[in-house]
Amino acid sequence: MQALVMLSFYSFAAASIAYVLSAICYVVYAVGRVRVRRTSLATGNGPAIVGTSASLEPTGPAIGQFATMLAWFGVVFQGISLVLRTLAAGHPPLSNMYEFSSTFVFLVGLVYLLFERHYGVRQLGAIVLPVTVAMIAYVWSLPAYLREVNPLIPALQNNPMMTFHVSMAILAYSTFAVAFAAAVLYLVKVRWNVSWLPSAALLDDLGFRAVTIGFPAMALVLILGSVWAYQAWGTYWSWDPKEAAALFTWLIYGVYLHTRTLRGWRGSRSAIILLVGFAAVVFTYYGNYVFGGLHAYGGV
Amino acid sequence: MIGDVQPSARPAPVARQKSGFEWVVDRIWRFFCSVRVGIYEIIFLALLVLIGALRNSSVPQALADAVPATKPLVERWYAWDVYHSAIFMVTMTLLAIGIAIGGIINRAPGLWAAIAHPTVTTTHGFLRGADVAANATAAAAPADLAETVAGAFRDRRYRVLTAQVGEETHLYADRNRYGKLGTVPLHVALILVLVGGIVGARWGFRDTDVMVPEGSVREIGHDTGLSVRLNRFDEDYNEDGSAKTYRSNLTVLKDGQPVRDAAITVNHPLTLGDVVFYQSGFGQAVTLDIKDAQGNVLYQDALPLGEFRSKTNPDAPAALLDLPAAGISLTVIAPDDNPPNQPELDTLHLASGQMYLMVRPLGPDSPLKDPVAQVIDQGDATTFGNATVTFERERRFTVLQVARNPAIPIFLASALMLTGGILMVFAFPHRRIRGIIGPNGAGGSRLALAPMAKRDWAGQRAFEEMVDRLEADLGLPMERSARAESA
Repeated sequence: MQALVMLSFYSFAAASIAYVLSAICYVVYAVGRVRVRRTSLATGNGPAIVGTSASLEPTGPAIGQFATMLAWFGVVFQGISLVLRTLAAGHPPLSNMYEFSSTFVFLVGLVYLLFERHYGVRQLGAIVLPVTVAMIAYVWSLPAYLREVNPLIPALQNNPMMTFHVSMAILAYSTFAVAFAAAVLYLVKVRWNVSWLPSAALLDDLGFRAVTIGFPAMALVLILGSVWAYQAWGTYWSWDPKEAAALFTWLIYGVYLHTRTLRGWRGSRSAIILLVGFAAVVFTYYGNYVFGGLHAYGGV
Repeated sequence: MIGDVQPSARPAPVARQKSGFEWVVDRIWRFFCSVRVGIYEIIFLALLVLIGALRNSSVPQALADAVPATKPLVERWYAWDVYHSAIFMVTMTLLAIGIAIGGIINRAPGLWAAIAHPTVTTTHGFLRGADVAANATAAAAPADLAETVAGAFRDRRYRVLTAQVGEETHLYADRNRYGKLGTVPLHVALILVLVGGIVGARWGFRDTDVMVPEGSVREIGHDTGLSVRLNRFDEDYNEDGSAKTYRSNLTVLKDGQPVRDAAITVNHPLTLGDVVFYQSGFGQAVTLDIKDAQGNVLYQDALPLGEFRSKTNPDAPAALLDLPAAGISLTVIAPDDNPPNQPELDTLHLASGQMYLMVRPLGPDSPLKDPVAQVIDQGDATTFGNATVTFERERRFTVLQVARNPAIPIFLASALMLTGGILMVFAFPHRRIRGIIGPNGAGGSRLALAPMAKRDWAGQRAFEEMVDRLEADLGLPMERSARAESA
């Protein structure tokens, strides 16, 4: 078992490298390359350089394709890491912050790449991949003992519920991360009118589509969590702070959808709600550091 | 089949002066129908939920530490039971009424009208002003082209409605129209959650700390006629000392007669009728036998330890027992269960198998004047006033939650409706396309199509895909147009 745990960790390390390189490539692809122009003035003794100017210009597609390829490497390595850890532990890797965050690193990469494939937009990776890299840095910063496979505490000894409830949470967070990236790029696009970014309408729609996946997923998190709580703790809802934070997040995205579908909000106002929503996601994700309550066994 | 629809001519409504009562009712109705008000209510509810979540965190304390001036505010924050406060209840109630009136009752007829009786006719202005549009000319007569285009739409699972306006055929095609109805079960589900909460609180019960020592029986009460006996308690630990599993082997009795034997663990409760027994915790108990001077039994049972803690040593589990018949109150303190932690607090220095007993006078007729304390070994007896206390043995006890929640079917129904409603709304977006087919003045016909998808990138993309298919199906070259993007 220990060998599998080590192999899983090495695979995670390989995924980390791939994700970091991919993030760099995506940023370069989205920001563009710096082009320096020299202004010269002809003189009697030949041309003399009198000044330079710099500007950002779009890069070629190759670096974007390279970024995508590296991201797929990261997803595959991280997928292998999760499979190995599942084999070692006998349950999906979802029981503490190391495992939860590792699965998030996998799923956010996969969800992003599916969106990239569907919409044909690579610039989004310049936001999503750095977020993923930040999560990887967080995983590396966690205490080493969390990398070991530890027995599940009695409350978590429910493989089906743990798998569906926690996986749905990670899926929701991943799609919200994509929506966040779309919102950031939207605001950049309309603020500075960066010509080689995707159209504002596309970014606006992409954020909305991501939320239409994340919002039902988050609803399922609350529903499945309630069903599990009923089995394990004897109550559907106990206003545990983690429960409340998840509900808060769901309500924020509920506001986003209502303002959009019933009030016709689009564009910057919608994008700002997505930023607030993702702040709520981060708050819920890392809430274990400040919360007590029934979800306080996350191993942080 | 193409559903021909004729524009209807309805008489204009006659304005009538409203009475004061009607005006009030109308204002209340409008308030609860207002989307803006609903959104404000959701935002306010979200803020209350956030305040409640933070109340159970270290954030307020950190705020008070960083900004001492906020300490009074933080103290009030910690003291405020947000989720049971009047403002929270009022917000939930207003939101529930708003969902019922604005989200369901007021909205459903409009939704159904849009599904069953959409407006078929359109204008050239709409088609020209749409974000994206497609135009074509054909040699066929307008009626023939309309029939062909409608057939192509139907082949792509679109419903097609047409209306004849002069020489022109107006076309309305839509897909996934019933997806919009998902909003009804979605909103009904939210109300059912609240109804379930009220039903559960009103007609159910939930006892969270039913402590049952091994060999003992506890009444459940609540007119259930049930009691539960703990036959045996098993526990298993991991190498690091954490609990691996713990199991209560129970017998449930109805009116004193055994009706079910079962072993329960966390995640695997026992359901008997509508009453559910959950494994919640466990601990040590001390079995005491207390008799008065005449040999009458005052207490003969296991007393759970751990519900209380020693005032001077938080690591020492304790129990309290009032015996009014004997005029005494008994305090039992067990040995420190975590000796390495703050050993200086362990002033009793009890060995395993020892208990510290303190007896206080209870009531004016107590035979004791002052508290008396004594350390007692397992199997020994000691006398306090008129009572003789025998420490028979230590035993395990289990902590159960016992609950009856008649709202379970309501919660399950709401969960299904919520999930189904959300999936209907978002997985099956309503796609709508309008068009006009008319003569082109040269013996043929012209076609103009545009989607109802203003600032809707996905809707526009679906339209463009449909136009591509029409081109392929009909062999009709389509000229596409798109308005410049306005951010």
